[in-house]
Amino acid sequence: MAEATSTQRLQLVEDWAADVAVFRGVPWGKAMMWIFLLSDTFIFSCFLTSYMTVRMTSAEAWPNPSEVFALEAFGVPVPLLLIAIMTFILISSSGTMAMAVNMGYRRKRVGAALLMVVTALFGASFVGMQAFEWYKLIVEEGVRPWGNPMGAAQFGSCFFMITGFHGLHVSAGVVYLLIVAYRVWRGRYEEKGYDIVEITGLYWHFVDLVWVFIFAFFYLW
Amino acid sequence: MAVEAQVPYQEAIDVHHPHSWLARYWFSQDHKVIAIQYGITAIGVGLVALVLSGMMRLQLGFPDSFDFIDPEAYYQFITMHGMIMVIYLLTALLLGGFGNYLVPLMCGARDMVFPFVNMISYHVYFVSVLILLASYFVPGGPTGAGWTLYPPQAILTGTPGVDWGILTMLVSLAVFIVAFTMGGLNYVTTILQARTRGMSLMRMPLSIWGIFMATVLGLLAFPALFVSAVMMILDKTIGTSFFMPAISSLGEQLDYSGGSPLLFQHLFWFFGHPEVYIVALPAFGIVSDLISTHARKNIFGYRMMVWAIVAIGVLSFIVWAHHMYVSGMHPYFGFFFATTTLIIAVPTAIKVYNWTLTLLRANIHMTVPMLFSIAFVITFVVGGLTGLFLGNVIVDVPLSDTYFVVAHFHMVMGVSPILVIFGAIYHWYPKMTGKMLDDRIGQLHFWITFLGTYAIYYPMHYLGFVGVPRRYFANGEMAIIDESVILLNQGITIAALIVGVAQILFIWNLIYSYYRGRDSGPNPWKATTLEWQTPETPPRHGNWESRLPTVYRWAYDYSVPGAKDDFIPQSEPSAGEREGAPLA
Amino acid sequence: MAETGQQHPISIYFWIWGLLFVFSAASYMVDYAGFQGYLRWSLIIIFMMLKAGFIVAIFMHMRWERVALITAIMLPPGALLVLVCLMAWESDYTWETRIVYLGAEIAPEPLPPPSHH
Repeated sequence: MAEATSTQRLQLVEDWAADVAVFRGVPWGKAMMWIFLLSDTFIFSCFLTSYMTVRMTSAEAWPNPSEVFALEAFGVPVPLLLIAIMTFILISSSGTMAMAVNMGYRRKRVGAALLMVVTALFGASFVGMQAFEWYKLIVEEGVRPWGNPMGAAQFGSCFFMITGFHGLHVSAGVVYLLIVAYRVWRGRYEEKGYDIVEITGLYWHFVDLVWVFIFAFFYLW
Repeated sequence: MAVEAQVPYQEAIDVHHPHSWLARYWFSQDHKVIAIQYGITAIGVGLVALVLSGMMRLQLGFPDSFDFIDPEAYYQFITMHGMIMVIYLLTALLLGGFGNYLVPLMCGARDMVFPFVNMISYHVYFVSVLILLASYFVPGGPTGAGWTLYPPQAILTGTPGVDWGILTMLVSLAVFIVAFTMGGLNYVTTILQARTRGMSLMRMPLSIWGIFMATVLGLLAFPALFVSAVMMILDKTIGTSFFMPAISSLGEQLDYSGGSPLLFQHLFWFFGHPEVYIVALPAFGIVSDLISTHARKNIFGYRMMVWAIVAIGVLSFIVWAHHMYVSGMHPYFGFFFATTTLIIAVPTAIKVYNWTLTLLRANIHMTVPMLFSIAFVITFVVGGLTGLFLGNVIVDVPLSDTYFVVAHFHMVMGVSPILVIFGAIYHWYPKMTGKMLDDRIGQLHFWITFLGTYAIYYPMHYLGFVGVPRRYFANGEMAIIDESVILLNQGITIAALIVGVAQILFIWNLIYSYYRGRDSGPNPWKATTLEWQTPETPPRHGNWESRLPTVYRWAYDYSVPGAKDDFIPQSEPSAGEREGAPLA
Repeated sequence: MAETGQQHPISIYFWIWGLLFVFSAASYMVDYAGFQGYLRWSLIIIFMMLKAGFIVAIFMHMRWERVALITAIMLPPGALLVLVCLMAWESDYTWETRIVYLGAEIAPEPLPPPSHH
């Protein structure tokens, strides 16, 4: 183990000291996507930090998300039911995406394209459920970005802003996935190789990753 | 295996050579054309900001003499001047302009890794500038909230431009950030992944190191500004209360409640402090190269310089609240942020010592770029030392919001980077056009600008000490405003107008030399870095012949004992070194 | 360059897929069971970090990347940790000043969401 870490340390130094490229064997697009995701991480973190700040400074009561987002099933209110389903859907989409990447590198382009379309469908259904959730919150619970009947006004502001921004990312991801899936299916990457599927996948997994944090900090806090 | 695969891949790229005028000069994907587009737009909008500062000075020097400057207009001048200078001129020119031009050339690449994205980046930037300038044509005019745009006042009645100006400003910033991200991803990826054979990170010219670190800072810091812009737009348009506390305005209780104005300040400065280094680090890097080249001596302590750039970049993320000592934040924060702020002085001082030591006993050529470089070092020291005053909480409190602060930040992040930009333009103009800029006009421009800025900002330190508050439209009948203040303000205004008008010399020089300038040849300064070794001047689209250059040495082989010339280009192999074993 | 891409046995993705389901269910159960206080918080954070870790390490292939890429991507968010910690500290202070100086009341229980049958 100690030996492994010391070779890794050597590898780190060697890579940063190399000519041409620091990230050896990493295509340009993939490097760029990683750096973009890093930048995007800062955007979402700033959103979540702002949410934390307004929530912690609020002298008014913060509505209990567990009750607000409860859904009635068989006559019993089940807390966070829809959110749980959405979480599972997004995780499943990440699973199919990972399969698509695998298929791509095995040069099974039809399989890869199909799995990407499935991923996009999962994503679209996620956005659909989010739209339903917004509808329920706005129409039935009377939550508005500037106020709500339960407590602190920032509850609605943060909810709509953060899930809205995440939803935009999912929607953009669905479009991106469909475009790449179409091109994969047409055989556009037969010569260049299927890095593009992995790059698309990175973006998609990132969207799932952000949801993990939103789920923990917004719905479970 | 992959490493060897990448250079030939880049070599094999056949850059597309468009022929129509539109495709060559407007929708060009050539990084050099994009750089010049960025440069011209940034300088153009910068001239607007310069005129605005002249109008502010007219009011401050000769209050009540100009009818067209009322308090509203004055605050709009302040806001637009500050925002344009920091974001749309300095950031765009240093990264979009010099970053674009120098990164592929100095790294020995064909172009940026994604030229199409790079092209879009410029056009989005152009749109952001248009939105910003549109502020002057919307009802109510541009916002007068000050460049920091602090809520609640930024969106309360009474602040100029509260109806539309604040929105155009925030939207323009958001659009600018999109543009910057597209460009920035390109610069970083190009530097990390697309250098030529033999160009290791520790052989890169310091210009590239500065641009690299600044771009990384930009990619990580602009998100905070983006987020605060989004939240303020929501507060303004649909009435959320992220930043707005319960507040009454004009005797009326507003609908806002429970928001945190401090949150905005924290987010803004989490962006704002790295922003200072986004502007400063490319200037640090470029000036290192200018000094080394024009002093015919290797840069002193290259590795230290690199690590200082990295250290400043890292530290810049944990010093932000030193802009907020008087904001009412947590009282314990002062200690933390004063400490980190003073620590950042260490790598900065290292850089200053290294510039000075490079100049020591060097064969200094007093060219125009060299004059600007020396002026930069002096000005940066002055601005940096006043920073030590302001970094300490107890000294800062009485100096806050006085002209001392204005003098400090103009010296350190206004004048200093601008001096480097002038030096850099005099230095690289020959590569961009194949013509030399006129030396006599350049000297005249330098001396007026350099001495003029000192005539402007030195007295401001004194104004700050006697307590003249900044951002006041007129000082009126205050006990602290004595004769000397009035006299100095007049003097400053006259100096500012002279410096402002003198910039015509510079613009004239750029235009005149383009047509009538002396031919420069490929390497007029006898510099070592790759951009001076291109087969053509100005370099054509694709930069190099079919084969990319190979790098054998660092960028600072000047006056090497025993060498044929007093410089050895990076692409020149040493005796016994053959191609294919560049790192041996 | 396709050969240098990330290629791993497909079974590992199924494993992780399953694990993510389990962790999501577990963090959901934390809320359902009504745990409160430190117990709730540590469980939620642990499950969150596990999920995030698996997504980044396996789905995004970070585990198989070279150390250079891992460090370049994982270190910068450290700046965010500083921001989050200081803002949490700051928020406590702001909250106290609101209670002490602005006469705000300590947050009452939130009202239940409007019932609708």
